[in-house]
Amino acid sequence: MTLTMPLLTPELSWAPMSTPSDPTETRSPALVAGEAEAEVEAAAEAEAEETIVEAIEETTSPAELRALFEEQALPFIDQLYAAGMRMTRNPSDAQDLVQETFVKAFSAFRQYQQGTNLKAWLYRILTNTFINNYRKKQRDPYQGTIDDLEDWQLGGAESATSSRVGRSAEAEAIDHLPDSAVKDALQAVPEDFRLAVYLADVEGFSYQEIADIMKTPVGTVMSRLHRGRRLLRELLGEYARERGIAVGAPSRRRSPKHDGVEQ
Amino acid sequence: MTDCGCDKAMQELEEYLHNELRSEDAADIREHMENCVSCAGEHKVGIVLTDVVRRACKDTAPEELREQVLLRLRTLQTH
Repeated sequence: MTLTMPLLTPELSWAPMSTPSDPTETRSPALVAGEAEAEVEAAAEAEAEETIVEAIEETTSPAELRALFEEQALPFIDQLYAAGMRMTRNPSDAQDLVQETFVKAFSAFRQYQQGTNLKAWLYRILTNTFINNYRKKQRDPYQGTIDDLEDWQLGGAESATSSRVGRSAEAEAIDHLPDSAVKDALQAVPEDFRLAVYLADVEGFSYQEIADIMKTPVGTVMSRLHRGRRLLRELLGEYARERGIAVGAPSRRRSPKHDGVEQ
Repeated sequence: MTDCGCDKAMQELEEYLHNELRSEDAADIREHMENCVSCAGEHKVGIVLTDVVRRACKDTAPEELREQVLLRLRTLQTH
């Protein structure tokens, strides 16, 4: 086996990180790109075992590499933009973020392991780029402590709409809300929760994939998802109630006429 | 056959919705919901929640973004 390392810059090499990453540390853009190399350890193992999963051959010309990248990665531009919109909450930042993501992904593309999950790899770069370049700018007041907040601090007690009578009406009401209302509600959900919900419910990533993308344990992913969905449900319920759409609100439940109709 | 009960069903509903449960556990939840209006209702709300989010989040990248990305890639390639 010939050595294939010389082309790799230190930042982009596959060496597993020796220390656990500290989420509070400030990272340089170069390091971010390096971290974006998905499945670091898996790749190291793959190399050791000389498996069929390989990085793109060194002999691939720059033009061929770009063509391959455009063919494989560019189709994800709509999805990445949609995710970027949910992250940055505005089209201009979303465009910058996506552009930056593609630039970083292309720079690291020789090390991308063909045959592994390209979509997850791209999302990892997107998320890293967002966290490093945009999150600080946005000053989300909850940032950094959101996972530690108690449920009552997040607003909304255990859903008052969850009566047995109300669930069917609640589902119906939520289902009929305009997209704009759902987007507004999502924007109001704290960032980490919103991102977990987005990655699971819109992109269909598994909990483990989300954990890899967000660099957080699976348990944290589950907690963020649960709380994000619960907040979203409360916000949508409120929205519907404000507009007089019945969602099994207490006032309605008191009416004998409606009692038990959903049984 | 034993019903897993509302507690287990409610606790695992989200994992059920996201296809994260082992098939035996998923079958337990499914079976319970067949006989429990309350949990079936929660399940329905959960599905609707996922549906509306998915529906609302469909965005298409502006054409100019696609062009900018292609341009940047071409510039990068020459270095």
